[in-house]
Order: sequence, then C-alpha cells, then structure tokens
Amino acid sequence: MPLATEKIAPSKTRSQQAADLFQVWNRKLHFYLGLYFLFFIWLFAFTGLLLNHSSWKFAEFWPTRKVSSYQRQIQHPPPGDDVVQARDVMRQLGIAGEIQWGNAPKDPGRLDFQVGRPGQSFAVKADLHQDIAKVERTEINAWGVMRVLHTFTGVRVGDTRNQRDWMLTTIWALSMDALALGLTVMVLSGIYMWYGLKGKRNLGLAALALGMVTCGWFLFGLRLLRS
Amino acid sequence: MKRFYIITRDLHLYLGLFISPFVLVFAISVFFLVHAWIPGVSPPGTQRLVNNVSFPADLERWNGREQLDGVRQVLDQLGIHGEVGFIRRIAKEHRLVIPVSVPGHETTAELNLAAGTAAISERNTGLADAMVYLHRMPGPHNVNIRGNTPFMGVWRWLADATAYLFLFVSVSGIYLWTALKAERRAGLSLLAAGVLSFFGIVYAISH
Repeated sequence: MPLATEKIAPSKTRSQQAADLFQVWNRKLHFYLGLYFLFFIWLFAFTGLLLNHSSWKFAEFWPTRKVSSYQRQIQHPPPGDDVVQARDVMRQLGIAGEIQWGNAPKDPGRLDFQVGRPGQSFAVKADLHQDIAKVERTEINAWGVMRVLHTFTGVRVGDTRNQRDWMLTTIWALSMDALALGLTVMVLSGIYMWYGLKGKRNLGLAALALGMVTCGWFLFGLRLLRS
Repeated sequence: MKRFYIITRDLHLYLGLFISPFVLVFAISVFFLVHAWIPGVSPPGTQRLVNNVSFPADLERWNGREQLDGVRQVLDQLGIHGEVGFIRRIAKEHRLVIPVSVPGHETTAELNLAAGTAAISERNTGLADAMVYLHRMPGPHNVNIRGNTPFMGVWRWLADATAYLFLFVSVSGIYLWTALKAERRAGLSLLAAGVLSFFGIVYAISH
C-alpha cells in the first residue's frame, strides 16, 4: 500500500494516453471513411475496369445511343463573352450542363458549342444573324452515365479554352478530391494499424514491400532503366 | 464462423497492404487530373535529326497493328523504347508523328518518309505526370494499338488487379465492420450519409 504522502504514478503517461486515443480514432476514421465513401469507391473501381475494357459487350452504350435534333428561334443573346452568350442560349433552350468549346476558329455570326453532362450531350449551333439555334441531343444508357462520371471534370490538361463553368461539375470535382483525400487517409491509417499488430508485421511487410517495389518499378524504374 | 472472420480479416489486411501503393498512385493523380495541372513537366528538348532512316515500303498506307509493327521496327532502329501513344499521319507531307512514352518520360519521333529522316525530341515529364499516365493507362482510347510494350501489358493486369482487390477489400471491410457491434449505429449513419451524398449528386448531375 502506498503511503498517503507518496505520489501514485498514473498507470499511463499523458503521451501514452494520447497515443491510445490516436489509435482508437485512427481505427474509427479508417472504417468511417470507408463506409462514407463506399459507393464512390465502387463506382470508380468498377468504371475503371469498364474504361480499361471497352470491348465488354454488356456495358456498351454508344451503339444504343438515342439521337434527336430540333431547331428553335431564339432571342439574340446579350453582348458579353462566349460563356455569357452560351449560357443565355442554353437558358432559352432549357439546357443545363458543362460547356465545351471546339477548336474551330470563332465565326462572329455563329455560336457553336457542346453542352455535356453524364447521360446527355447537346451540340448547339446558333446562327446569330438569324437568331436560330439547331440542337442535336444525344442520350446514352446507364453504363455510359457511369463511365462519364469517372472522367467528368470539365477540364483537361493542356486545354486552356475550356474551364469548369457549371456548378454541378464543380461539386462532382470536389467529390473526387474528397474521395482521393479520403483514400489517402485510409491507406495511411491502415498502414498505421498494421504496424501496431506485432504478430503480423513480417507478412504484412512482405505484402507492402511487394506492392511498393512493383509500383515503384513503374513509377521510377522504367524511366531510370531507359537512360 | 470465427475461422471465416479471421481469414477475411487477414486477407483484408494483406491484400490491402499490397494494393496500398497502387491506391496512392490512383488517388494522388486524381488531384492533377481534376484540376488539369501537372507540375514538373519539362519543355521538349532540342530536336535531333537522324538521316538515312530506312522505312518499310508501305508504312504510310498501313493501319492499326500492321502500321504499329512497322513503326516499331523504325523505333528500334532509332533506339527509342516505350509505349506508342498514337500514330498521326500528315498525308500531304508524308510524315508520321509518334509520341512514345514510359511513365515520366516522353519521346516524340517525327518520321519524314519522303526524306528518309527522323526528328526526335525528348522530355522528362516528372513524377506527377508519371502517376497521371499510369492512372489513364490502358484506358479506352486507341484500343487497337494499346499495350504495345511488355510493361503496358503488365500494367494493364495490375490496374485490373487493383480494381478487383479494392472491391474485395471494400466488401470485406463492411463484413469486418458489422462484427463491431459498438460501431454499428455510427457506421450506419455514415453509410447512410454517403449513400445520400452519392445518389444525390449523381441524380442532380445526370437529370
């Protein structure tokens, strides 16, 4: 029995307590993130396979697309830049989506652009002299929607003409960022949890090392070997 | 039942550890793809001209795999190794432009079939581009020529394996979570929040 005057050493130091708390929350974070992002993970893993196997017949979407076209009289769009004018034409036509500009040089009497969203795309050709817009609408099936979701960012590397201009594209892009961040945290938290399992260190290290060496060979090895 | 749980837990752990570097490559490259920004890409280097290059007689007329095989002979002659991205034909000038890549490095060969010359430029594209390149490959484009190097054939297999194993790890993760009775309520709330966010955004963006 310790005397009343003796200091009783706490069973765990403050740093040990903090480490325990971190361990608990690291574990919780690992599966909370996994559960929250479950459907995002399934979508991107599955559509990754679809993109790498475009010959899979069951997931075909382009041959079954539905194309329709129509022509409408429009009010002359207000003066402004291309995006402002395109937005006005889209409002009049009842179209919403991400605007994509082609590479063709601009004709002052015309406003030609594409509007895309997963599942639908519209080719708009507006004649600003006659104030007539011709629209070709293409609709694809659910497989196509899933595939487009994988790559729907509104921007492309090296393409300065097209900027993200639709709020929902921005929200989807932020979801992709959040998923990427979530996956990074899940990987790191998983490695931390494994390191705490002393009985599984050797086999775990072998699995991790195999992954790192294989992946590292593609990331660094191929480049170094060629020089 | 306990044995099944233990096996699932071990597979979740070891397979998860194996794919973790691949998942990091796919995840980190998302930031570059979503924001169309790739740091560390050097400008193309000075072009060097190689004279007296011998081309297969019908190289310009061939298509698809046949043309690729012909181009590969020429590239071997020039000492250029890597995955051929595409073959662009400039018919009027009897030229072929061919980008050849390994992750982090790109060589562009411009073959002048009439003059029998090849103009070659190289550039380092850096680590970020290497990750983006691997993320996109093999992909849905130029399917008839994609996988024209052994490394791309292996990467195709590994990219698929990562996706399949990731699906397994996610399903086994759900099973392992259901065994944690104290975490069911919080887990279900987060799962429900995730389902609502996912289907809410997908519905809004596609309708």
